[in-house]
Amino acid sequence: MKSYLPFQVSEKKMAIVTFVVVLTLPFILSFNPYYLSIFISALILGSVSLAWNLLAGVCGQVSFGHAAFFGIGAYASALLVMKAGFNPFLAMAGAAMTGVMGGLIIGIPAFRLRGPYFALSILGFAEVMKLLTLNLTSLTEGSKGVFNIPSLPLIKLGGMTFDFYISRTTNYYLAAALMFAIYLSIYFIRHSNIGLAMSAVHGDEETASGIGVPVFKTKIIALTVSAFCTALMGSFYAHYVHFLNPDSAFDGFWSVMPIVGSLFGGIGTLIGPSIGALVITGLDEFLFKRFFETGHKLFFGLLLTIVIVWAPVGLLGKWVKKR
Amino acid sequence: MISTASIIQSLLSGMLEGMNYALYCLGLAFVFGIMRIINMAHGEFLVLSGYIAYWLLVKWGFNPLLSLPIAAVIAAGASFLSYRVFLQRIRTTAELNTLILTFGIGIFLSNLYLQLWSADIRNIGVDWMEKPLMLAGIYISFGEIITFTISFIGVAALHSFLRHTKMGKAIRITAIDRDAATLAGINVERVDLLAFSIGGLLAGLGGPLLGMLSFVSPGTGLHITVKAFILTVLAGVGSIPGLIAAGMILGIGEAMTVTFVSSSYRELFGFALFLIILLVRPSGLFGKRI
Repeated sequence: MKSYLPFQVSEKKMAIVTFVVVLTLPFILSFNPYYLSIFISALILGSVSLAWNLLAGVCGQVSFGHAAFFGIGAYASALLVMKAGFNPFLAMAGAAMTGVMGGLIIGIPAFRLRGPYFALSILGFAEVMKLLTLNLTSLTEGSKGVFNIPSLPLIKLGGMTFDFYISRTTNYYLAAALMFAIYLSIYFIRHSNIGLAMSAVHGDEETASGIGVPVFKTKIIALTVSAFCTALMGSFYAHYVHFLNPDSAFDGFWSVMPIVGSLFGGIGTLIGPSIGALVITGLDEFLFKRFFETGHKLFFGLLLTIVIVWAPVGLLGKWVKKR
Repeated sequence: MISTASIIQSLLSGMLEGMNYALYCLGLAFVFGIMRIINMAHGEFLVLSGYIAYWLLVKWGFNPLLSLPIAAVIAAGASFLSYRVFLQRIRTTAELNTLILTFGIGIFLSNLYLQLWSADIRNIGVDWMEKPLMLAGIYISFGEIITFTISFIGVAALHSFLRHTKMGKAIRITAIDRDAATLAGINVERVDLLAFSIGGLLAGLGGPLLGMLSFVSPGTGLHITVKAFILTVLAGVGSIPGLIAAGMILGIGEAMTVTFVSSSYRELFGFALFLIILLVRPSGLFGKRI
């Protein structure tokens, strides 16, 4: 695409700028707990958007139900700690693997067909998971929800203590670190052979399979990695808010917002989705909610519609140089 | 608990409900079959007409059956506008774009309903509809029979419209081969616009019926879209009579689940069936192999 912009930034520089901003943001906000809590959820969302984008932006498989993985991760982690006595950090890993299992359950039947089948199957899957969580009351407490989920344990590293129970700042930086780790993994996947295969599948499935790309396997890998990252963030969320119920963990918010964030930030880039998610959360909190208190999410729909029709590369996508 | 009467009861109410399912998903199946577009806003158009009928009833005391055509036309108008303003511009780009676009329209609409009509569930109940008819221990409400009839007429009307009118034939030809249709002098752009509006009209027929039988709420739309997609896959893309059969299978299956297992697992039946169909026979029960 020919650019009419005065300058373009490479993907790497954009990522560095983003993470510098993320790291300095608490200082700018002078560690105000209210703002920090907003940006912690923004970081969670940013990470889920990165994961969503690996599947949709890189591999071309749109998902309308990432809330399924988020909720699975959140519940698995909470239950592993509270019912099986796992260490919360170990439980996070376990929860992420549970997310992978969820991905396989829906991916294996749905990826047999091309086109919109996967996108809609996973939407149904998210609904079913919510329903199961509501009804398996002996395990999940149903609609009552799970209370008093322990936070991540104290870490003492050299002279520093990281307390996840009291300090918002610590949680903020852990979320930032998780987002960074997810970004790096996605960056390396994208620039590996598997990433090339995903890109080929996105371009044209028939040609891809013609030149020997295992289409089904590639899609499954993209889905499981994406599910892994999403469930990991879900598990972080569970230990951060200490309370889960089916409505909060499987909220459609976790399905919709990664899409809005990714498209807004630029679906063709790797770092764009997280920037998009951060900006959107800010806009939502400080602008949209002032206009319409109950229906503020209608702006997300509007934004999605406008971006996809008039700026399909995303608003930031134009600034990022294609290699 | 399990008696012959309860089995017959669930069979019958499942069949009645299944016919309505066929109508609820008709618009989505039609648009998907003709245009290869999954309209993620389908359920929201359906809910829109439900709200219109609710409003007409509450404000002016309209009979829901009378407001049915009005509400359907308004839903068709909303569908027309969505196509004209947004969809037409990206029709030729990647298939996934239309999916995300209609999803965006759906989010916009459902949150608009939330803002306008709050999250409360709205029922368009009228007394004479809830009158029970008892036949040898089997219970049917009068409303169920009426909605069954309307649904049947809706499905049959679409079927014969596509088979026997010139416009219907133009739509079918365009679905089979766009280039050939253009060569034959068909304005394919117009056909697309028409087909998408018909999809909205069909969704609009379902809304008031849904409101009469159960309720509409801002969250209902997405739920209906998912159910409609499940049914479309079950029936096989492009098979309209198949939709009735698939609707009835789903309806009876759900009613049986409620009778013999638990009402909370009702939705699970459809999804489990859907996954099995995807694995065993992806072309659907009545569709051609793809």
